[in-house]
Amino acid sequence: MEKRLKGRLLLVLLAAVLLVFVAACSDDSGTEDSSDDSGDSSGEEISDGTSDGEGLSGTLEVQYFVGGYGDSWWKEVIGDFQAQHPDLEIVEHAGPNINEEMRSRWVSGDPPDVVYIDGAGSSETQMVEDGQLMDLTDWVQDIEVDGTPLMDSFIVPPSDFDGSIYSLPLVFDTWGTWYDITWFEENGWEVPTDFDSFMSSMGQIQEDTGIAPFTTSGQHPYYFLRGMLYPAFGAAGGNELLNDVITGAEGAWTSDTVLDVMKKVEEMQQEGYIDEGFGAINHTQSQMNFLLHDNAYIPVGFWLPNEMEGDKPEDLEYGFIPSPMNEAGEPMAVVPDLRPLAIAEESENPEAAKAFVEFVYTKEYASLFSEHTGAIMNLEGVDLASNKNVPQYLIDANEMINDPEQAEIYHKPHPMSADLETPISDSLVSLMLGNITAEEFVEEAEAAAAEYRNSQ
Amino acid sequence: MVQSKKQKYLFLAFCLIPTFIMFSIFTLYPLFSGLYYSFFEMSGSSQAREFVGFDNYIQLFKDEIIPATIWHDYFLVITKVIGIMIMAMFIAVALTQLKIKEAPFYRIIFFFPNIMSVVVIGILWAFIYNPDLGLINSGLEFLGLEEWTRAWLGNESWALTSLVLPSIWAGIGLFMLLLMGGIANIPKSYYEAARIDGANEWQQFWKVTLPLVWPQIRISILYIVITTLNGSFIIVQVMTGGGPNNATHVMGSYLYQQAFQQYNFGYGAAIGVMILVISLITVLFLQLLLRREKVEY
Repeated sequence: MEKRLKGRLLLVLLAAVLLVFVAACSDDSGTEDSSDDSGDSSGEEISDGTSDGEGLSGTLEVQYFVGGYGDSWWKEVIGDFQAQHPDLEIVEHAGPNINEEMRSRWVSGDPPDVVYIDGAGSSETQMVEDGQLMDLTDWVQDIEVDGTPLMDSFIVPPSDFDGSIYSLPLVFDTWGTWYDITWFEENGWEVPTDFDSFMSSMGQIQEDTGIAPFTTSGQHPYYFLRGMLYPAFGAAGGNELLNDVITGAEGAWTSDTVLDVMKKVEEMQQEGYIDEGFGAINHTQSQMNFLLHDNAYIPVGFWLPNEMEGDKPEDLEYGFIPSPMNEAGEPMAVVPDLRPLAIAEESENPEAAKAFVEFVYTKEYASLFSEHTGAIMNLEGVDLASNKNVPQYLIDANEMINDPEQAEIYHKPHPMSADLETPISDSLVSLMLGNITAEEFVEEAEAAAAEYRNSQ
Repeated sequence: MVQSKKQKYLFLAFCLIPTFIMFSIFTLYPLFSGLYYSFFEMSGSSQAREFVGFDNYIQLFKDEIIPATIWHDYFLVITKVIGIMIMAMFIAVALTQLKIKEAPFYRIIFFFPNIMSVVVIGILWAFIYNPDLGLINSGLEFLGLEEWTRAWLGNESWALTSLVLPSIWAGIGLFMLLLMGGIANIPKSYYEAARIDGANEWQQFWKVTLPLVWPQIRISILYIVITTLNGSFIIVQVMTGGGPNNATHVMGSYLYQQAFQQYNFGYGAAIGVMILVISLITVLFLQLLLRREKVEY
């Protein structure tokens, strides 16, 4: 009898424990619902608030990567937005490792509202594939920048994922080749305009100084892929070839045009122009070598001066040219590298998120962006030349890029998938170290593309 | 006072249950989660996942980089075991048997790398190997051996070998202390007896020291093997990132690349399971190989 009573008591106890667990779980889902509700209600508040002239409310979480561009522009923009909407609580998630730090939030379906997609650990393509970004296709049609539709104001239009827009390009960066104007002038070295003059310039530099004139990061081979090869593919085969190599189209990597480009890389290696130590160094080490005149040319984006601000020798003057992989007599090629802004599909305050994104795209902030970051915001018609706070190299580069006789702009359909970029980058390092030939490289790249296609 | 059975079980439960709960949360749960995720295709950056059965495991056998990563791991295991054990044994014997006055000072010096983070060690040695400013190339140039200089970590043929030196340097101290403890426990009378029997220093080492510190050697080897198979990832990640052209990728660094850089989390989990299986097989094999009768004199 006593045993049976004890058994029943145990069962009751077990049931109570289970009940507590169930209650705890349902409490959680309740919180999610209520926060969704609060998100919705904040949306309602906005529409009401807008008509009443009131600001937004609730919480707006903004995630942004802090790299070469720094964070001062973000602080200013967010500060201004906060001033307009004092009832809105803005939470910033920022830092050089923010993509890793916020990963668990994205995985658990509790992402921030707005995300600036840039830096290590972020992939726009992957986020779209995972359904993490809000479809902005319809919404963006109604947005205006200083009276002009936003879609007509972009220098480069948003990435197209099967006809849908999931992100808006914020930063118009472009990879190019950097050199030190002062050093070049002192030594009377010519600034190249095509591949032949690039090779003769590197030959001259090597003869005069004994250094390997060209460096890049072997730990991050995509610096060469995006900085030198994309412009080379653009110049040689236009947008079509660029599209084919990035999407891994059948036969693209083994085409004669690609092989010709890779032969140029092979030639650079065989002449000893590529620093043989590049294989082990990361991007900051390669940039430091460039600043120390261990090398004369380096392919990097517009963020180089900002990122290396503290290490720049006093007399060094940054010079930027689109990577001279083009044939003589043809314009140099520029392939913009865009850093987009997006709204999370599961944003809890989508109205505030949309308002913030809309707020950011103005010519005023575009000009301010160049002042703060030394790069260009992806908006047309921004007068950089008259802004005394914009660095000279950027004004010069901007003029060059916008002069069709000097440079032609080619567009990527979207960033290359990491599954394709990684094996191609590996083979690229091998080619640049002289361990494989250009022919072997294109075969390896084609095999990687075939594997990538099969995995889709 | 005689302890009742109930009290005894209560005490055992009091000791075991918290440990078991912690072990379940921090070891068993991640272990089985990894196993579970290895049957899915997922990016690891969202909740989206698709059950793919054994596809990730089939991919393991097709992936040409996997055999290379296994070889790289075992290359590091073998070179580290040999390098660390020889150096640690040499230093331990020298510091205990040779009556060096500065022995405590050397003990601290040799143990010093063990209190440094592996990340710091990796960065330090990356500077030492720097082709332009590094100590090694500068030293070779100073000695007139310019033709020997090279981009150690940037060279596909030399990068993996270059990782051995910092790994050994970082590991000697701990095993030196372990062996010194073992040697200190050997009664002096054994050496005296050996000397009376005419044994020289070398014979004393082989016939007395080595057999009597075998348990410490065995533990050291097992420890080096396990930590290398599971932990060489850090030094690789810091010094070379697995490059150039996968020349230094070990299983752990390749797992990281697949799971967190290429967004193939499910495949990364399958690589994790492979590391577990390979580590278990290796340790079991070593247990058999290193099994010896306990020596007592």
